Amino acid sequence: MHFISSQDQTTLYSMMGFEGLENTGFLFDTYIGILLAGLIGIVVLSERLKPFFSAAIVLLVSIVTSLIAIRGISQNGLELHLFGGSFMGDIPLRIDALSAWFMLIINLTVTTGVLYGIGYLKAYKPVKTIITLHWALLVIFQSSMLWVCMVQNGIAFLIAWEVMSLSSLFLVVFDHTDAKVIKAGINYMVQMHLSVLFLTVAFIWVYFKTGTFDFNGINLYFGLNSNTWLFIVFFLGFGLKAGFMGLHSWLPHAHPAAPSHVSGIMSGVIVKMGIYGIFRMITYLKTDYILLGDIILTFSVLTGIFGIMNAAVHRDFKKMLAYCTIENIGLIGIGIGVGLIGLGKGQNVLVFLGFGGALLHVLNHSLFKSLLFYSAGSVYQQTHTRDMNQLGGLIKKMPQTALLFLIGALAIGGIPPFNGFISEFLIYSGLLAGIHSVDIAQTTLMVLSVAGMSIIGGISIFAFTKTFGTIFLGSARTQLHHEPKEVSSIMLVPQYLIVGIMLCVALFSNTFLHVIIVLLNGVFHVNMEIGNADYLRYSSVLQHISLYSLLFMAVIGLLFFIRKSIAGKRESTYHSTWGCGYVAPTSRMQYSGKSFTKPLGKLFNFVLIEKKNYNELKSNEIFPQSRKYSSSYLDFWEHWLINPVIKYLNLLIDQFKFFQNGRIQTYVLYGIVFIMIVFIGTVLNLLH
Amino acid sequence: MLSLILILIASLFFTGIIFRVKSIASGRKGPGLFQPVKDVWRLFKKGSVYSETTSFVFQIAPVIYFSSVIMAILVVPFGSTKGIISFDGDFIFFAYVLALGKFFSIISAMDTGSSFEGMGASREALYSMFAEPAFFILMGSFALLTGYTSFLEIFSTLHLGSYITYALGIMATFVLVMIAMIENSRMPIDDPKTHLELTMVHEVMILDNSGFDLGLILSSGYLKFAMYGTLIADLYIGGLSMAYAIPVFLLTQVAFAVSVGLIESFMARFRMSHNPQFIFALSSVSLLIFLGVLLVLGKFV
Repeated sequence: MHFISSQDQTTLYSMMGFEGLENTGFLFDTYIGILLAGLIGIVVLSERLKPFFSAAIVLLVSIVTSLIAIRGISQNGLELHLFGGSFMGDIPLRIDALSAWFMLIINLTVTTGVLYGIGYLKAYKPVKTIITLHWALLVIFQSSMLWVCMVQNGIAFLIAWEVMSLSSLFLVVFDHTDAKVIKAGINYMVQMHLSVLFLTVAFIWVYFKTGTFDFNGINLYFGLNSNTWLFIVFFLGFGLKAGFMGLHSWLPHAHPAAPSHVSGIMSGVIVKMGIYGIFRMITYLKTDYILLGDIILTFSVLTGIFGIMNAAVHRDFKKMLAYCTIENIGLIGIGIGVGLIGLGKGQNVLVFLGFGGALLHVLNHSLFKSLLFYSAGSVYQQTHTRDMNQLGGLIKKMPQTALLFLIGALAIGGIPPFNGFISEFLIYSGLLAGIHSVDIAQTTLMVLSVAGMSIIGGISIFAFTKTFGTIFLGSARTQLHHEPKEVSSIMLVPQYLIVGIMLCVALFSNTFLHVIIVLLNGVFHVNMEIGNADYLRYSSVLQHISLYSLLFMAVIGLLFFIRKSIAGKRESTYHSTWGCGYVAPTSRMQYSGKSFTKPLGKLFNFVLIEKKNYNELKSNEIFPQSRKYSSSYLDFWEHWLINPVIKYLNLLIDQFKFFQNGRIQTYVLYGIVFIMIVFIGTVLNLLH
Repeated sequence: MLSLILILIASLFFTGIIFRVKSIASGRKGPGLFQPVKDVWRLFKKGSVYSETTSFVFQIAPVIYFSSVIMAILVVPFGSTKGIISFDGDFIFFAYVLALGKFFSIISAMDTGSSFEGMGASREALYSMFAEPAFFILMGSFALLTGYTSFLEIFSTLHLGSYITYALGIMATFVLVMIAMIENSRMPIDDPKTHLELTMVHEVMILDNSGFDLGLILSSGYLKFAMYGTLIADLYIGGLSMAYAIPVFLLTQVAFAVSVGLIESFMARFRMSHNPQFIFALSSVSLLIFLGVLLVLGKFV
């Protein structure tokens, strides 16, 4: 590809309102330079230096592209053009505030992920080539996501999308000697290509109708045709990446299989690329807002409830976090639905609260979910198990990791004084603002969504108290191979960094709201100037919440001080836990994660399918042998939809096995037949 | 400010009334009205016994639990008089801040590593989760009815005037009473006086707390009762002048406490497995309120 110097385009840009492009072009050149130098450097450098070098490259790329992104926000959109050869033609790179918002999030998460990864991978001593590949892929992965946010040409977008999927696939299968990991990787690969299939169909659809792969073509298409079906095809494609219910089944497999820094990045940002895609398509929508909004809202509430319910019952803590990602995608989707309804009704408040809440939740979720994955990864690194029922009492061995996980758990439950509350509050406010409608169906939908969100919040507390309690509290349930200890500071520092940013979002939420309103004004034309009454209303509410959160911390601090000064004087003794008079308790008797969630699993057994493996005791067994019992939960959609479909698909495809008979002669024959068909077809002019 | 002071006053005698009613109903004279407060005071002066299994979570949890209740009280208004803080959507804050307290009380129970306390924690988490939608649908309906989203504005504009709104008021009272019972772990959800760890919910979670911490937990329970009592009273006193509002408030609190005492005297606790169904049924009462609001607003044509 050849980069057109921006000189000759400048006049055009200034006509279009894009200014200062020489500078952006320079930044862009710098970015490409850093990227290429970085990839060569990673291959050449010694094994010890590779991690640090690639972290430096990621950091540099982050800084440069973030500068571009910030320019994109402040100048209300940048446009660059690449020449993509005769096949793709002109490739527009448009960086508006929406792209920029996601680019900043990508850069933040990837940077913390790489830092954490340096420490995390130290424990592994695999072959040199794999390490090289891993670090190079991380750099490529970051860039591919950035490109997804920037390019606005269908084919170039699909290429960037594919590079993103493939690079993340190879990052997932890092531990390639494990058959389960490979299986999860293949699952991921197949599902991602299903997503590409939908997207390709959608882009070609637009191409046939409008004759261009430029995203402006989509705009054109939506202006002239029915919006619903094309949008739904796009939604399916992007929804597979985002992990909406029914399209989610790669997440619970891929996240546990991947190394923790990769799962942190994937859960933090790669699923958000799906959300970006949906947002991008919404900017082109012209009609059918309300129908699509209703669909997405309903679907998202169900996604949230489904995700968090599954998160509550699983014992593999990384799987649990993966399901929790699905829940948060549901929350983001609720915001998107509310915003769409607002667009349809012309109620800018709904657009502001819905889209604003969703976008802020994208940021928040990328923060606390990567934090949770990193701290969970620290646990895995030290204990080599992902089964929380094998663990317990880690808070004494790894106090900092425990604290970090606790903060992440509180934030993800949307509990004040952390950042999750801010975005959930905006989405709640959107739903409450949407209640007042002449349309009784909308009113009902909104109230039920409020109830749905409250259930999600409730179960999320259930799920995270269980996870935190089982892993970190109580006493150790099994003897581990080696004594776990606190992880190295290079793994802790990025996590503290994330906590710092989370507190910033919570306490200075108005700054972030300001950026979001600029974004929404620029991209969705909500016409909410900073002095607008609605904006002022909600920004003062957020100010109240921030103040209130500070007051809350102050009250806790004060009370703790009082407690210390009063109770500190009294004598306190230490004794074993009250065991109801039983004097020989063992650590195996503690309530496990499984027993904690059993009541929930039983109540919702129509969604949470429990699979039990055991032999029934027979009536003639007078002296029963020792026997095993195990139980696990199956995914509803995988069990009832995906697996049966695959089974019948296999049956069908088995009928065509005879094609692949292993004889080269037959294969040559196939080739000849094919050539003949093409030839005859051309001669007889059958093919167009 | 007024609401904070009134809630503090109400919390002083609330639990005392419950105990007194229960004693009288069972033919005893019973302790004085202020006995529960005296108990707490005594606990504040005592030393503590900690489990060796516990960590810092166990130490900070009671403080956070207590502060969360305090913070929740700050947004509760007194009729049309503002609480300490009021903003749009403060009832969401109210629910979530209480959830923080719940979170910590649950993990502090799990911190002891006791199987009984884990069991209590699991049950408490489950029950409070089921109570959430009832509260949110209730508040959502009121937001629809009044057009506002803060406690203060909802209660000061909520006027019960027609037959339907009377029905709404009664149902809302029922829902709030039941939520208060769930949140405070009282009958018919949980029996605070049971003596078997296996049948306890809340009591078993605090088995290992003692001294100052136990005092904090008990007093947050008293405060919570008075707080929900205030919410119930707020349904009725929005339009009243102060001279009527305060007596009505005190009457409501006393009536609430007496009815809690009577329920506990004459009802048995539900079977554990029936509790979730019962709590979920509360949401349907809330949905009825929502339908009633739609009726009032004339949305059904």
